[in-house]
Amino acid sequence: MSENNLILKNPLKFVKEDAGHLLGDGQFGAILARAGEGKTSFLMHLALDNLLRGKNVLHICLGQPIKKVCLWYEEVLLRISDQYELNNTNVMWEMILPHRFIMTFNIDDFSEKRLEERLNDLTEQGIFFPQVVLLDGLPFDKTDQTSLSKLKALAKEHGFPAWFTVMTHRENNIEQPDDIPSTISHMSDFFEVIVQLKPTGREINVQLVKGQKADRVL
Amino acid sequence: MNRDPAKVRNIGISAHIDAGKTTLTERILFYTQRIHAIHDVKGKDGVGATMDFMELEKERGITITSAATYCEWKGYEINIIDTPGHVDFTIEVERALRVLDGGVLVLCSVGGVQSQSITVDRQMSRYKVPCIAFINKCDRGGANPFRVIEQLREKLDHNAIAMQIPIGLESDFQGVVDLVSMKALYFDGPSGEQIRMEEIPQGLRTEAEAHRESLVDAASMFSDELMEAALDEKVTADILIDAIRNGTLVRGLTPVFIGSAYKNKGVQPLLDAVTHYLPQPMDIENFALDMDNEEVEKKLETDFSKPLVALAFKLEEGRYGQLTYIRVYQGTLSKGDTIVNSRTGQKVRIGRVVHMHADQMEEIGSIPAGYIGALFGVDCASGDTFTSPEIKYSMTSMHIPEPVISLAIVPMDNKAQVKISKALSRFTKEDPTFRAYVNHETGDTIISGMGELHLEIYVERMRREYDADVTTGMPQVAYRETITRQAEFNYTHKKQTGGAGQFGRVAGYLEPVKDEFVFENRIVGGAIPAEFISSCEKGFKKSMEKGQLLGFPITGVKIVINDGQSHPVDSSDMAFQAASRRAFWEGYRKAKPVILEPIMKVEVETPTEFQGAVMGSLNQRRGMILGTQDEGNISVIEAEVPLAEMFGYSTTLRSGTQGKAQFTMEFSTYRRVPKSVADELIKKAAEEKKKAT
Ligand SMILES: Nc1nc2c(ncn2[C@@H]2O[C@H](COP(=O)(O)OP(=O)(O)O)[C@@H](O)[C@H]2O)c(=O)[nH]1
Ligand SMILES: [Mg+2]
Repeated sequence: MSENNLILKNPLKFVKEDAGHLLGDGQFGAILARAGEGKTSFLMHLALDNLLRGKNVLHICLGQPIKKVCLWYEEVLLRISDQYELNNTNVMWEMILPHRFIMTFNIDDFSEKRLEERLNDLTEQGIFFPQVVLLDGLPFDKTDQTSLSKLKALAKEHGFPAWFTVMTHRENNIEQPDDIPSTISHMSDFFEVIVQLKPTGREINVQLVKGQKADRVL
Repeated sequence: MNRDPAKVRNIGISAHIDAGKTTLTERILFYTQRIHAIHDVKGKDGVGATMDFMELEKERGITITSAATYCEWKGYEINIIDTPGHVDFTIEVERALRVLDGGVLVLCSVGGVQSQSITVDRQMSRYKVPCIAFINKCDRGGANPFRVIEQLREKLDHNAIAMQIPIGLESDFQGVVDLVSMKALYFDGPSGEQIRMEEIPQGLRTEAEAHRESLVDAASMFSDELMEAALDEKVTADILIDAIRNGTLVRGLTPVFIGSAYKNKGVQPLLDAVTHYLPQPMDIENFALDMDNEEVEKKLETDFSKPLVALAFKLEEGRYGQLTYIRVYQGTLSKGDTIVNSRTGQKVRIGRVVHMHADQMEEIGSIPAGYIGALFGVDCASGDTFTSPEIKYSMTSMHIPEPVISLAIVPMDNKAQVKISKALSRFTKEDPTFRAYVNHETGDTIISGMGELHLEIYVERMRREYDADVTTGMPQVAYRETITRQAEFNYTHKKQTGGAGQFGRVAGYLEPVKDEFVFENRIVGGAIPAEFISSCEKGFKKSMEKGQLLGFPITGVKIVINDGQSHPVDSSDMAFQAASRRAFWEGYRKAKPVILEPIMKVEVETPTEFQGAVMGSLNQRRGMILGTQDEGNISVIEAEVPLAEMFGYSTTLRSGTQGKAQFTMEFSTYRRVPKSVADELIKKAAEEKKKAT
C-alpha cells in the first residue's frame, strides 16, 4: 500500500456523522473496495474517529508488519492535523495511544482460535479491553462460514462491533445498490452493514450496500 | 591514481544483526584483494573479520563503529562505510548515512525482512539512499529468496526486482543465473574466486525467461530507450543496465541479488552491481549552510578546484594515533593545506592524508571532492565541517538527542583517574550523545548517554583500551522538570550591607513552550535599563539548570519580562541576575511544575508461546503495549516503557522465557511522570538531600 492511498478527501465527514454509531456490540460491518482503492485508509479514519471518542480500538492487520501499521497512524494523524491546522498533535497522540492496540498476523497463521488466545492474553492480564475491532486483510475467498460465525461468537462474548475490509474484484462491480459483490455474497448474512468505496475522480464515494441509512440510526 | 568521481562509490551495508553483514564485508575485502585470507566471523583462528576490528565488538557480536574501508574493484574505488546495526547508536547510524551515497541491504534468505530490517530501511529512506539488496545465506535450510523479494515489496514498499535466480538452493545451492547476460554463473576455486560462466541449465530456462521479462518490464518504466528496444526485441545489456540504474537512483527500483557470503557465492556480481547501479557522488545533491550569509543553503559541487567543504564524520583512536574520517564534498583536501573548522573557527594544517581499510592504511596525499579518507592529528569533534579559509560553510547540523541515563564512575586510584580523563575526552569527542562531567556537589565523575548498553560499552572500553580500573554506581534516569501553566512573577531584590547596595526588580510571567528555553523582553520605557536585560536573561537561564522538585534540569519554559525597576547606584549585573533567579522561583512554584521522564521504545522478540508472559512483564513496568506482531512461531511486541522501569529487564525477560526472547530499546520521548510515581520520587530526593547535609 502506498502513501497515496491514505489520502481520502474529507473522509471524516462521513465517518464522524454516521459510521461511528452504525454498529452495535457483536455486529459486523464490511468495507468493500478493489485493491488500492482506499479500504485501509477508510479503516484508519474509522479507527481515529473511535479513538478520539475515547473508545478502545483493536486494529488487527493481516500480512503487514506492526511497524508499518504504526506508520499509517502517524501519517494519517499528520495529514489530519495539517488539514485542520491543529498544532498540538502531540497531545492528541498521547491521548489516543493508550486506547489503541495493534495486532498483526501472517495471513496463513491467522485463525479465530489464535485471535481468541491473544484476546484472552490481553483481557486476563487487564492490559487491553477492545471496544471496537478493525480487521484488515482477511482473505474472504478463503474464509468459510464456520470461521466467520466463530468470530461473531467471539465478538458477542467480548462485546465489540467489528469492521472488516473486503477486497473485491473488477468483475463484481455492483450496479444496483442492493447487489452484493460475489466475494462476500455467500456470507452477507453475517454483516449488518456493508459499504462500498468507489473512487470517482479525486474523491472516494461511499455507498451503503446493506444496512439502514445512517440518518435513521442517529 | 586517476581521479574520476564517476568511478567512486561510497556505500553502506545495512542489515539485521546476523544477516551476514560482517561475513559479506570480509568477502568483499578478500575479492578486492584488501585482505589475503578469509577468516570467519567469530572464527577459531582468533583473527576474525577485518571490519570489526575492535575486540569488544567482536565479543558482543555487534558493530558499533562506522569506520570507512577502502577497496578497488575493476577500476572503481569503493568506500564501505560501516553502518552500525544496533538501535542504541542511532546518531552513528545517521552520521554514516549522511556520508554514503548508496546502500546494500543485506537480508537473510531464511529470516527475510525482520523487524530490525524495517528500522534500518526506514533510515535509508529518510536519507533517500538508493539501494540494492543482497539475499544472503541461500545455502541454508529453508532458504527462499523469492519469499524475501515478496517481503521487500510488501513490508518495505520496495519495487524489488530479481536480478538473478538461484541454481539450486539450501545445501544444493550452486550458483546463480544472471538475468542481464542470461548466463549461469558458478564460483569455483577454494574461495570462489574463479567465476565460471555457462549456459543456463535446461531446467531453469523457462523460469529465467519469465523473470527476465519482469525485469525488462520493470526497468522500462525508467527508460524510453529500453521500452523501444523491448518492443523491437533488441534489448542489449547496456540499455538494460542503464535503465535499471535510472530506476535505482530515484529509488524507483531495488535490484535484488542473491548468494551465500559464507559459501563464497554471488559476491563478485554484487560488487559489479555496486558499480553499475549505485550512485556516484555527482548523482547526489548535497547542501551546506552559508554561515556568513544568514545560513542560506548552498548546493555543493563535486568540483576539485572549488573551495573546500568537508565533513568529519568519525573520530577514532587507532593503532596509529588519533584518526579523523572525513568526506570531501567540494574542492580538494591536500597534505600541507590550511583549513578551518567552521564550528570553532580554528585553523588546522593538514599532515598525513590516508585511506583506511579496517586496521591497515595507505598514504594518499589528497582527498578530492566525492572521496573519503582519513586525517591524522586533527583536533575536532565528529560532525564538524572543515572549509577553505575564504568561506564559512556548515554541513546541516544533525539533531543530537539529550542523554537519558547517567552513571557515576569511580576510579580505583590516581593512575586510573588520569586514564579515565583521557578516555572520556576522546569518547565525548567521538560521540556527541555520550557526555561526561563532574558533579560539583559530590565530586563524582558522571557519564551520560542514550541507554544502559551505550554506557556499558564505554565503561568496558575504558577498562580495555585504557586499562583504567573503575567501578560504577547505579544507573540514574535523567529526569526533567517542566511547567504546565502560565504564572506571574514580580520580585524585588534589595540588599543594604554597608557600602554599595544591590537593587533590582523584575516582573513578568513564564509559560510552557515547545522549545527548551525562550526569553522575551517586552519592557518599554526603560523600566530595566537596556544594559541589564542580558543580566536578567542570564539569571533566568541559570535557574533552568536545576529544578526544585528533583533537582534535574528544567525544560520547556518561556520567560516574558514586561516590567521592573532599577536604582541609579545600587543596580548592577549581579543584582539583576539575583533578582531574576528569585523571580523565576516565585513564578515556577505557581506554574504547576511536573517531572518528565524518558520513555523508551522497546521491542521484544519472543517465541509466541511466551507472548502473554512478556506482555504481562511490560505491563507491570508501566509499559504501554502498542501492539503485537504474530509471525507464527515467533512474535514481536512493541511497547513504550519508562526507562526507570527497564533496569534489570534482561534478567526478567530471560527467566520468563527460558532465555529464548531478546529485546532492544531506543529513546523515544519525554513524558510526564504519573502523580503517584512523582510523589515517590520527590520524597526520595528530599530524603537524600537530608542525608547529604
Ligand atoms: N549458512 C550461512 N551462514 C552465514 C552466511 N553468511 C554469514 N553466515 C553466518 O551467520 C552468522 C552471522 O554472520 P555475521 O557476518 O556476523 O552477521 P552480521 O551480524 O550481519 O555482521 C555467522 O555465524 C556467519 O558465519 C551464509 O551465506 N550462509
Ligand atoms: Mg557484524
